[in-house]
Amino acid sequence: MDATALYTQCVLDHQRAPRNFGRLEGHTHAADGANPLCGDSLRMELACVDGRIAALRFDGAACAVATATASMLGEMAVGRSIEQIGELEARFSALVNGVVGRDDVLADLNAMSALAKHPSRRKCALLAFATLRAALAGSRSATTEGNS
Amino acid sequence: MNAISSIGQPAAFDPRRYRADFPLLARQVHGKPLVYFDNANTAQKPQAVIDAVSRYYSKYNANVARAVHTLGEEATTAYEAVRDKLARFVNAPSRDEIVFTGGTTQAINTVAYSFALPRLKPGDEILVTTMEHHANIVPWQLVCARTGAKLKVAPITASGELIVERFVELLTPQVKLACVVHVSNVLGTINPVRELARACRGRGIPLLVDGSQAAPHLPIDVQALGCDFYALTGHKLYGPTGTGMLWARREWLEEMPPFFGGGEMIRTVSFDGTTFADPPHKFEAGTPNIAGFIGLGAALDYVEAIGRGAISAYEHELLDYATAALRGIPGLRLFGEAADKAAVLSFLIDGIHAHDLATLLDHEGVAVRSGHHCAHPLMQFFGVPATARASLAFYNTRDEVDRFVDAIGRVRKLLG
Repeated sequence: MDATALYTQCVLDHQRAPRNFGRLEGHTHAADGANPLCGDSLRMELACVDGRIAALRFDGAACAVATATASMLGEMAVGRSIEQIGELEARFSALVNGVVGRDDVLADLNAMSALAKHPSRRKCALLAFATLRAALAGSRSATTEGNS
Repeated sequence: MNAISSIGQPAAFDPRRYRADFPLLARQVHGKPLVYFDNANTAQKPQAVIDAVSRYYSKYNANVARAVHTLGEEATTAYEAVRDKLARFVNAPSRDEIVFTGGTTQAINTVAYSFALPRLKPGDEILVTTMEHHANIVPWQLVCARTGAKLKVAPITASGELIVERFVELLTPQVKLACVVHVSNVLGTINPVRELARACRGRGIPLLVDGSQAAPHLPIDVQALGCDFYALTGHKLYGPTGTGMLWARREWLEEMPPFFGGGEMIRTVSFDGTTFADPPHKFEAGTPNIAGFIGLGAALDYVEAIGRGAISAYEHELLDYATAALRGIPGLRLFGEAADKAAVLSFLIDGIHAHDLATLLDHEGVAVRSGHHCAHPLMQFFGVPATARASLAFYNTRDEVDRFVDAIGRVRKLLG
């Protein structure tokens, strides 16, 4: 399957063995992300200390793209502030929209650059960011699907 | 038409004879020959349809029913001929019972707003089934919200068949309208509409049938079915998008007030009041999708020339072949195993999300749909967020089924 640049070993590895998977006892923030059209759902639970993410866990039932992105993002989120997560999301958005081909700051998340050629799957990857942002902002839920 | 062989039997159905009529089927996707298994979403169009649309725009483009010049006459004649073709296609007693709509959704909404809304009162009920498409759920919820009526749902079995006894039990005196899908777009289940219509008629309850998915697969006879309303769409029937039909019994059409107002649907207009045209024109305000309907006429001719019986028989054979092949795949779960079903296969594979499956199959040239198929309540019934769906047409082949199954094998290796 040479055309499947999206399903790289890196993505498959994060999908098969997602990092920080599960629930976080004593979390201070949480949100549920759902894309009902796709049938993707993610829950993110965080512990924030002094405006920074001290710990993060996620779980849910979602496609490989959404799960792998959540796993990669979880690894990077710890230690960052809300503002820094916002900056990361802007960089990630530029990557999946094909504005940049690679961004070293994004580490493993660069695996999602193939989404530049899969516009219909971008919302899957963006769900993890939207859910994390919702949790940090104190809203309970998030989606990256328009109304339908 | 099928050729008659020397021993007087119809020749075996050969889909390759028809594939050449569909220019799109020759294209490649990601360097692989296209296997188009998303026919329940929309069907591909034969050259005859494309030519009919093109001929209208290049030879006799004019508005219908208002111009007396030659182009207007030609356009009106071609456009109105499609009403006769649709009447024959569903065996309606009269062409005047065929209302042109933009598709099934508009047809159902016409019944919702022109039939149900003015009639229903608080305490009344509308009966639907678990396997309805959103187009046969949401309009009724809107009607219920505005009238105080209640929506009731007739259940299905785990194999995806309507529980007819429960449906009949639910036909209580409060029910003022029953709505049922003829063929489920997710499960392929063919509902026993005749039996349901008999039960409805015996209780004086009008029955609406959503025929969107049935029309491409089965011969339709609204008189034999015994329903009150039948809705279908053109684009699943090898015709252009934005075309469709509502058939309704004449007495209902006469009683129903128009839903849209405008040109084309009036007899006289003054600021003191307006009188409406007779059905079906009273429901057809504004300039319609003339080219689309002319294309739909060509699609109906095309389908009739092959023969709906022949199409149905071949698709059934292909469905059996595909079902057996999918059953041989470890970890694959089929949704919808009704005894009577059309060529639709919904499935999931353990550990693989439907979207990943569809994306990876696309890289193999295989087009399937993934998602909830506009049937959230049905997904909830099966307890899954989404399924993948392969829906077959008469131009699909066993060889394509084999390539599809091989591609699934490679996806399993990658993601399993």
